[in-house]
Amino acid sequence: MKLIWKLLRRHISVGQLTGFFLANLAGMVIILCGIQIYLDIEPTLSGKDGLIGNDYIIVSKPVKQLGSLIGKNTARFSDQEIADMEAQPFTESVGAFKSSQYGVYARLDTGKKSVSTDMFFESVPDRYIDVDIDEWAFDPQSQTIPIIVPRNYLNLYNFGFAQAQGLPQLSEGILESISFDITLYGNHMRDSFKGRVAGFSNRLNTILVPMSFMQWANNRYASGQDDITSRLIVEVGNPADERINAYLQEHGYEAENNSSDSSKIGFLLKLIVSIIVAIGAVISILAIYILTLSIYLLLQKNTEKLENLVLLGYTPRRVAAPYIMLTASLNIAILIISIIAVCIARGIYSAKMATAFAGATTAGFMYTVMAGVILIVVIIAFNSLIIQRKINVISRKR
Amino acid sequence: MKSIILNDVVPEIFAQRGDLRSDIWHKKVVFEKGLTYLVEAASGQGKSSLCSYLYGQRGDYRGSILFDDDDISRFDTRHWSRIRRNHLSILFQEMRLFPELTAMENVRIKNQITRSQSIATIGRWFEELGIADKRDVPVAKMSYGQQQRVALIRALCQPFDFLLLDEPISHLDEHNGNIMRDMILSEARRIGAGVISTSIGRHLNMEYDKVLSL
Repeated sequence: MKLIWKLLRRHISVGQLTGFFLANLAGMVIILCGIQIYLDIEPTLSGKDGLIGNDYIIVSKPVKQLGSLIGKNTARFSDQEIADMEAQPFTESVGAFKSSQYGVYARLDTGKKSVSTDMFFESVPDRYIDVDIDEWAFDPQSQTIPIIVPRNYLNLYNFGFAQAQGLPQLSEGILESISFDITLYGNHMRDSFKGRVAGFSNRLNTILVPMSFMQWANNRYASGQDDITSRLIVEVGNPADERINAYLQEHGYEAENNSSDSSKIGFLLKLIVSIIVAIGAVISILAIYILTLSIYLLLQKNTEKLENLVLLGYTPRRVAAPYIMLTASLNIAILIISIIAVCIARGIYSAKMATAFAGATTAGFMYTVMAGVILIVVIIAFNSLIIQRKINVISRKR
Repeated sequence: MKSIILNDVVPEIFAQRGDLRSDIWHKKVVFEKGLTYLVEAASGQGKSSLCSYLYGQRGDYRGSILFDDDDISRFDTRHWSRIRRNHLSILFQEMRLFPELTAMENVRIKNQITRSQSIATIGRWFEELGIADKRDVPVAKMSYGQQQRVALIRALCQPFDFLLLDEPISHLDEHNGNIMRDMILSEARRIGAGVISTSIGRHLNMEYDKVLSL
């Protein structure tokens, strides 16, 4: 192999190969960065939530001024409306939010100062909540209530309230590890409990407790009053289904958390990433074109040597091997460098992204690496094919 | 491979000529393994063409050439590679050495795919042919006579049933020609191979089993 290489490396143009290397590297870095940015941002736009899956929408009715003034709750869903929602083709299942019919008073003692507030609870059927089932259970004996808090409540506290009041800021980790005092009252009873934060949610703007606890507490402190359903959680097959928006508009319902906005941004993101990836692909294709021309030139200049090697009994495959190895090692070097480049680029932008898009995930890097590997394998296969075919032609020459 | 058979073979450019007087063109010729042949020719009679046909370099002939029972026009490149490594060796008239490689590297580039000769044997051949001091000299800097000897050593670095010699001593004096003859004969006898040598005048000084004129 060393001897053949010594023979065949003649006429290799370092300039052309460097040109190919840099151009294909640029193309690959652009393609892989595009894919990586897409993978990083896309989950935050489609509102993926650690606690609640992607394929849910939360539906409510607008509060009408007159109704609220005369004390009548107009923003409630009737049983027929719920049944109608369930019957829609895009609906997989419908769950009702249950509200607390009793008083809730929470107190957090931070050592120096204590914070206390009146509040409320809501709950949805447990199957919509993606928390460890052991964590999401209420046992009247233990007196501990697991709670899911909206992430923006924590932000409100940390950046607004805590700073104004000189209270310590709390991270999610700290909050999950401490418990606070909760007092429930109603129906001539008053009991103390411990509250424990089981998780944070981006999508549900309410304080959630387990359904089992809600039923138990409503019975105990509100003597089983009629509960009002003012919001629905609807599991849908495809959140992008156009019939959903049409149905909601027709009935005057509102869907929370602006999923239509994020789908517009998602579309823009896809468009921009497609353009970026296309630019990278064009650069890479031109680079491969340069390499192909360079290889043709090289093989043409070395035709006599290749012929003689074949006449000595070398198989065309063996003669092609050094050139295939050369292009393969160039391409593998490109792959490695571009993956490193993506890592570095990601380090730079992910710090900024973390502030712009809460909850950016770190998953997806493996997909980028896989995409890079597949691209490089395709390029290597293409190069090898061209080299082998050209050498076959030379060896058949009569 | 036991025999090479030519059935009514003629180069395409000679096909229309009616005045061909030849022991080979338009005849049935059988070269048998173990025997030595001399093909004599004036220049322009198609001597190098014959070697090219037999070695699978060219196919511009009429008639058919068989290795045992197989028509060589049906061999693919891989089949030829196998034949050129194991059954048929050639000393090209134009030598086809790689000028940028040294004499030894030119031999090794062949021997490394056949692994048929030891470094010691190759070294001995360099000694016998009087070019031991040129082993590590690039072939480009060697005389034609020296190159011809390197090409012979390379041709012997493989197992073969037939050895084709296209004007093997055109650049050598009688003394060196005799050394070369002895080396070829001893190697051919050792492995029981046939030798087909061509010449337009001077030829290896030996007893041929058969002499044919083109």
